[in-house]
Amino acid sequence: MKNIVIIGNGAAGNSAAETIRRENSEVPIIMIAQEELPVYSACALPDCLSGGVDRNRLFIKGMQDYSILGITTKFGYEIDRIDIKQRTIITDKEAIDFDRLILATGSRAIIPPVPGCNLDGNFVVKTIGDIDRIMAHKPRQVLVVGSGNIGIEVAEALQVRGCQVTIVELMDYILPRIFDEEPARQLGQILIDHGIRVLTGERVIGVSGGQRVEQATTDQRTIICDTIIWAAGVKQNVEIAQTAGVKIGKLGGIQVDSHLQTNVEGIYACGDCIESIDMLTGNPTLSLLWPNAKRQGQVAALNCLGQELEYEGAVSMVVEDICGITAVSIGMTSTALGSKDINIIEGQTHNQYWRVLVQNDLIMGMQTIGITSGLGAVMTLMKKRTTLSEFRQTITDDTLIRKTAWYLPARRLLEV
Amino acid sequence: MRKQLIVDSTKCTGCGLCQMACAIKKKRQCEPSLARIRIWRDETRGMFIPMVCQQCENPPCAAVCLMNIITKDPVNGLTIRNLDACIACRACQVACPFEASHYDYLQEAVVNCDHCQGSPECVQYCPTGALQYAPLNAVLDNGRHNEALRRICT
Repeated sequence: MKNIVIIGNGAAGNSAAETIRRENSEVPIIMIAQEELPVYSACALPDCLSGGVDRNRLFIKGMQDYSILGITTKFGYEIDRIDIKQRTIITDKEAIDFDRLILATGSRAIIPPVPGCNLDGNFVVKTIGDIDRIMAHKPRQVLVVGSGNIGIEVAEALQVRGCQVTIVELMDYILPRIFDEEPARQLGQILIDHGIRVLTGERVIGVSGGQRVEQATTDQRTIICDTIIWAAGVKQNVEIAQTAGVKIGKLGGIQVDSHLQTNVEGIYACGDCIESIDMLTGNPTLSLLWPNAKRQGQVAALNCLGQELEYEGAVSMVVEDICGITAVSIGMTSTALGSKDINIIEGQTHNQYWRVLVQNDLIMGMQTIGITSGLGAVMTLMKKRTTLSEFRQTITDDTLIRKTAWYLPARRLLEV
Repeated sequence: MRKQLIVDSTKCTGCGLCQMACAIKKKRQCEPSLARIRIWRDETRGMFIPMVCQQCENPPCAAVCLMNIITKDPVNGLTIRNLDACIACRACQVACPFEASHYDYLQEAVVNCDHCQGSPECVQYCPTGALQYAPLNAVLDNGRHNEALRRICT
């Protein structure tokens, strides 16, 4: 093999590069990226915004670590196009030949095209540059549009910084893709109790102001604000791949087979930019989570080196710290499951809430508030597809349970 | 063969000395909740099961770490953490099936058992021999080992 080129310097790209180097100490690795920064943890950006984590602690590698691993970095390069026939990448600085290519181009946050969305004061939170720009803007009255995990985390972070924060969510409850309605309402109440204004079932239809953002209009009211953070979704970066002739799936991500190879021989893809399958349902999904990107990077790298390895599928796991309370969602929500024949195991104490979704005797999802114990066990049962009956049989058997002692912490969450 | 921290729960009486020894050795505090080993108690059945980091081959905690600070030590095979870079997001704590990632509020980081540089304090204080530090094949009976493997690895 002549060389391996990786496009992208995020979780997936770096995990791929490290895996290649662990398996093969000789093959040249070239990494191309837009940002002129070493890899950083994008998940910790809201913690940086709140002041909880210093900016320099976000970085996972230093520039010197790339040369230690023998990775040639081409950072600050804009890719013009990829020529699949000539197997070359044309950038604004030079043309780079490749033998094998790994696409880890990631995703970008989108700002919906509403009037005034280009005024000074409209931001997204996706890169370290976004954080720097928000800090320089000195926000005071903030409107966060969208209440996914980024929206919630940013709202809380800016509230900690002393801003007055309002969240506007289009759906009827917050975190709609991560939690069911009941836990989401409880989480919304926690935010409200901490002084964040939460408006659900509202759509932002316009932004107005002279030079800077001064107010936003929803379909129900106007909200005075100097900063708007758009956390209303992301779009896969697939344009370069698409023009080159790489096939795109129905959901808008790069289509890959179970070995994470695209329709072009020798071109693999991993991370936010691909459409992978869900481990639990087997349906196509856009996973967009750090652990999945890391695993996909490993799988793409090993297949790229010729080791046949099938990707087991993405499973979503979101851990949120909402005003000091740990909220966790693993697997699917009722909405995603289509709410057909779902058996819900639910429980509540004064400061804890849990809900486990069971379909055909298999655990398909779990949502908890204020709990950290027992979740790993339930997640492992979910991934191993252990049936609830087998679990209950094992746990009541004194001999069996000693052999699988890790079942015990899950007991409280799975008892009816 | 590498030595392992081996738990025989049938011998555990739930006395909690292991937790106290760990907390004192690691944190200089008489506070069992700071220990990296915990006893899972089922009082109605008289069952006490010490739970500690299993030093997994492919650790789920490392797979979910947002800062990529959890790695396998190539020499002794332990799961090690660069705690200076830990932002205490708790993802590893949630992902561990063995409840073996613990939040240390004094250090503001999530920690796991590191075998105390080759001489685990908990083993020295365990009065019943429920905890042992030995190569795996020296202690474990095969049938039990295979059953555990079947349940965890398939």
